[in-house]
Amino acid sequence: MKRRNFIKNTALASSLFYVPNFVNAFNNLDLKNAGYKRLVIVQLSGGNDGLNTVIPYSNDLYYNNRPTISQNSNNVLKLNNDLALHQSLAPIKNLYDQGYLSIINNVGYPNPNRSHFRSTDIWQTASKSNEYLTAGWLGRYLDLYGKSPHNAIEVDDSLSLVLKGNKLNGMAVQNPQQLFKNAQDPYFKKVLEHHSSQHLSEHNLGYLYKTMIAAENSAKYIYNTTKTYNSVQEYPNNPLAKQLKTAAEFINSGVDCKVLYTSLGGFDTHFNQKQRQEKLLTVYAESINCFVKDLHSNNTFKDTLILTFSEFGRRVKQNAANGTDHGTANNVFIIGNNLQKSGIYNEAPNLQDLDENGDLKYSVDFRSVYATILQKWMQVDDKTILNDSFKQLTFL
Amino acid sequence: MNSKHIQHLYWRAGFGLNPKELEKLQEKSKKELVNNLFLTSKKSSPIKVTAFSDVEMYKNFKMLTSDQKKNLQKLNRAKIAELNVAWVHRIFNPTELLRERMTLFWANHFVCKDQNAFHIQQFNNILRKNALGNFGDFVKEVSKSASMIKYLNTKQNKKQSPNENFARELMELFTLGVGNYAEKDIKESARAFTGWNYKPNGDFILRTKQHDFGEKEFFGETGKFNGEDIIEIILQQKQCSKFICEKIYSYFVSTNINAAHINEMVDVFYPNYDISKLMNHLLLSKWFYNDAFIGSKIKSPIELIAGINNTVPLKFEKEKQLIYLQKTLGQQLLNPINVAGWQGGQSWIDTNTLMLRLKLPSILLNNAIISLEGISEFEDTYEQYLKNRKKRKTYIKTTQNWDTFNLNYSNLPSKQIQSILLSAKLSENAQVLLTEITFENPKDYCLQLMSLPEYQLC
Repeated sequence: MKRRNFIKNTALASSLFYVPNFVNAFNNLDLKNAGYKRLVIVQLSGGNDGLNTVIPYSNDLYYNNRPTISQNSNNVLKLNNDLALHQSLAPIKNLYDQGYLSIINNVGYPNPNRSHFRSTDIWQTASKSNEYLTAGWLGRYLDLYGKSPHNAIEVDDSLSLVLKGNKLNGMAVQNPQQLFKNAQDPYFKKVLEHHSSQHLSEHNLGYLYKTMIAAENSAKYIYNTTKTYNSVQEYPNNPLAKQLKTAAEFINSGVDCKVLYTSLGGFDTHFNQKQRQEKLLTVYAESINCFVKDLHSNNTFKDTLILTFSEFGRRVKQNAANGTDHGTANNVFIIGNNLQKSGIYNEAPNLQDLDENGDLKYSVDFRSVYATILQKWMQVDDKTILNDSFKQLTFL
Repeated sequence: MNSKHIQHLYWRAGFGLNPKELEKLQEKSKKELVNNLFLTSKKSSPIKVTAFSDVEMYKNFKMLTSDQKKNLQKLNRAKIAELNVAWVHRIFNPTELLRERMTLFWANHFVCKDQNAFHIQQFNNILRKNALGNFGDFVKEVSKSASMIKYLNTKQNKKQSPNENFARELMELFTLGVGNYAEKDIKESARAFTGWNYKPNGDFILRTKQHDFGEKEFFGETGKFNGEDIIEIILQQKQCSKFICEKIYSYFVSTNINAAHINEMVDVFYPNYDISKLMNHLLLSKWFYNDAFIGSKIKSPIELIAGINNTVPLKFEKEKQLIYLQKTLGQQLLNPINVAGWQGGQSWIDTNTLMLRLKLPSILLNNAIISLEGISEFEDTYEQYLKNRKKRKTYIKTTQNWDTFNLNYSNLPSKQIQSILLSAKLSENAQVLLTEITFENPKDYCLQLMSLPEYQLC
C-alpha cells in the first residue's frame, strides 16, 4: 500500500480493508439449541410515570391527585378490578393475556434518590442509596462468568456503568458493520501484528494491548456471526425499535452474548405529560411487540427474558404544568414465556400511605428482582454478584 | 535535568510539552524548573463567563411560571457549557500551569455539580484559588460554597431534622477516607453543620434558628463545636494528611502506593497542610523521576485531548462538540459521574473508549468522522432525544494550527519526535514497527505515533 493511502485509511472513515477470514473458536458454538438463556434490558430513561402506565383506575385518590392528567377509566386496558394498562400499551396487554408478562408493582429501594444520575447509578450498580460502586451489576456478572466483552452488549455507541466490571467490561455495539470496519483499521492491525506477549505483562500498557486485541476479536466475531443473518421482521422507525432489531439479530444469529442492554429516553415528563407519555408508551409497546414476534419466529423467545425498568417513578400528585415531578417506587415489567407467575405479581400501589414527599413507598427491593433473575434465569450465584442476599421472588 | 525527566515533570505537573519549550528548559536544573512552576502559578486568575444577573431569578424560583423556569434552566445549561469550554481552553493554554493542573486534580477530589452556572463558576474558582494554598482553609471554603451546600444537602441539614450527607462525605471523601471514623462521629458532626446555607449571590450564611448550638462529642473531644471546629479536629488527625498524600501520590506519581514515599510526604504536609510545600517536595524528590513511573499513567480524556492540542493547536468550530467528545470519552468537566468522582487509571478504558481514543488523533487532525449518536440528557423530551439520535455521524470540525506544529516539529529527526510524543518505554517490537514506517514528513509521522497504544500513557 502506498503510504499516503495508508494514512488515509488510518482515519475512522477508512474503507473496508479485507483480511482473511479469521476462524474464531466461538463461531462453532451453536448456542440456539443449548438452552442458552439471555437477558434483555430496556431502560426507560428519565423516570417513567408508573401510575399512568399501570393505572389504578378504580381508586378515587388517583383521580383526585391528577385532575388533568389521569387516564379516563373508559379508555384504559383493564387487567383486573384495580389496575389497567395505558391505552397505548395494547401490544403489551396482548402479552399479558398470553401469560408472557409479569407486572411487579412498588419496586424501589430504601432512602430513594430523586436525581436521574444518582438513581440510574443505583439501579445500574445495584448499590445501596448511600453507596458508590464503580462496577455495574451486570459488569460484576461478567467478572465472574464472562470471557469476552461481547458476552454483554449495550446496543448503543458508548458503554454504561451497568456493563462495566472490575476486571472485564462489556461492549457497546450499535452497528456491527461499523464496529468491524473501525476495528479493521490497517494501522490497528499493524500495531497488533507487532505486539509481543512481553507487552501484555506490563501493567497499563499491557492492559491497553489486551483491550485492543479483545476489541478486534469481538468486533470480528460479532460481524462474522451476524453477517449472514437477515431478519424478515419489520420494525417501526424509532430508536428503541432499532436497538431491539439489532438485539434480535444478535440473539437469532447465536452471538455468544448473555446480556443485551437497550434504552429509550424522553420520560422526564414535568410538563404536558399526557401527550408526551402517550407517544413514548406507543414507541415502547410497538417496538417490544415486533421484538417478541421476531424472537418467536426464530424460536428464541423461550430463551429470552426481557426486563423493563425506569430509574424512578413519578410523584402521585401532578404539578401545575400538567406533568409530574420525580418520584420513587415504580413498576417493573418482566416479559418471557417461562414465567412462574404471570399477570400482576403483587399488590397495587398504596396511594394512601405516601412518604414525606408524597411519593409511593416501595415494597419490593429492585435487587430482589435482580437476584431472582440471576439465580433462576441466568443460573448464577446472585449473592456474590449483588454482594448481599436478597429475597427470591416467584415470577420465575 | 535530562529531557525525559523534564517531560515527565511537565506531563504530570502540566499537560505536556512541545519541543521548543523543552529546548528552552533544557539548560535548567531541577530546582530551577520546579521553582519556575510555582512562580508562574503565584497568581490565580478566576474564570468569568457568567454573572450573578444570569441566575438572579433563581431567588424566586418557586414563583416563576413554568416557561420562565424552563428559560432560566436553559440559560444556565448554556452558561455551564460555556464554562466547560472556557476551562478546557485554560487547560489548553495555561499561564498558571501548575495551578491549572492542581485545579483539575481538586475538582475530582472536592467533587461537585450544580445547575446554577454562577454558583458552579464560583466553586470552580474556589478550587483554582486554593489549589496550592492551605488545605484546611480549602476544606472550609469548599464546605461553605453554595454549590457544595446544595450538592451534599447541607441546605437540608437542620437542627430539627439533621441530614448527615455532608458530614459523611466530608470525612469519607474529602478528608479521612472510608473506615477512619465512627458512625457516631458522623451523627455528632452533622449537628455542627446544621443551619449552613447560602445567599442567592453565593455568600455563606448561618441560619441560627436551624443551627444546633448544643454540645457535641467528636473524635473523643466534647464541646459546643461549630462546623469549622469540626474541620479543625479532622485536620488534627494524621490520617487526614495521609489520605490526601495518598490521593496526590496516586494522581501525580503512581497508583502503586509506596509506603515510604507516603510517610515522607505526610511529614512534610502535617500539621500545617501547606499544599505548595507538599507539591514542591514531591516534584523535587528523587523518586518522582523513577523510571518505573515515567510513561506509566493512562491519560485521562482531558489529558489526552490537551496533549494532542499541545502538539497541534486545535480550534473546535462547534464548541458543543468539544463537550460531546468529553462525554463520549467518559470525562465531561463539571459533570462528574458521582460524588466519588472519576476513578481514573484503567477505568477510562473499555473496548469502545479505547478504539475511539486510538482514532482520536485522526479524528481531530485528519478530519475523520466520528459517530456521536446517543448523546442525550435525562431531561430531554422525546423529540430532542430523537433528534440527538438521528445525528448519526458527525464530523468533528476542527481547525488545526499546522504552522505552530511546523515551527516545533519540522526540523526534528524522527527519534526526537518519538521521544517527545511517547513517554512510555517502547517495547522492541513497537520499535521494529516504527522503523517500518518510513519517515516522509513530521505531520504523518506524528499522526502515526499518536495512534499507538503507547500514546495513551504519560
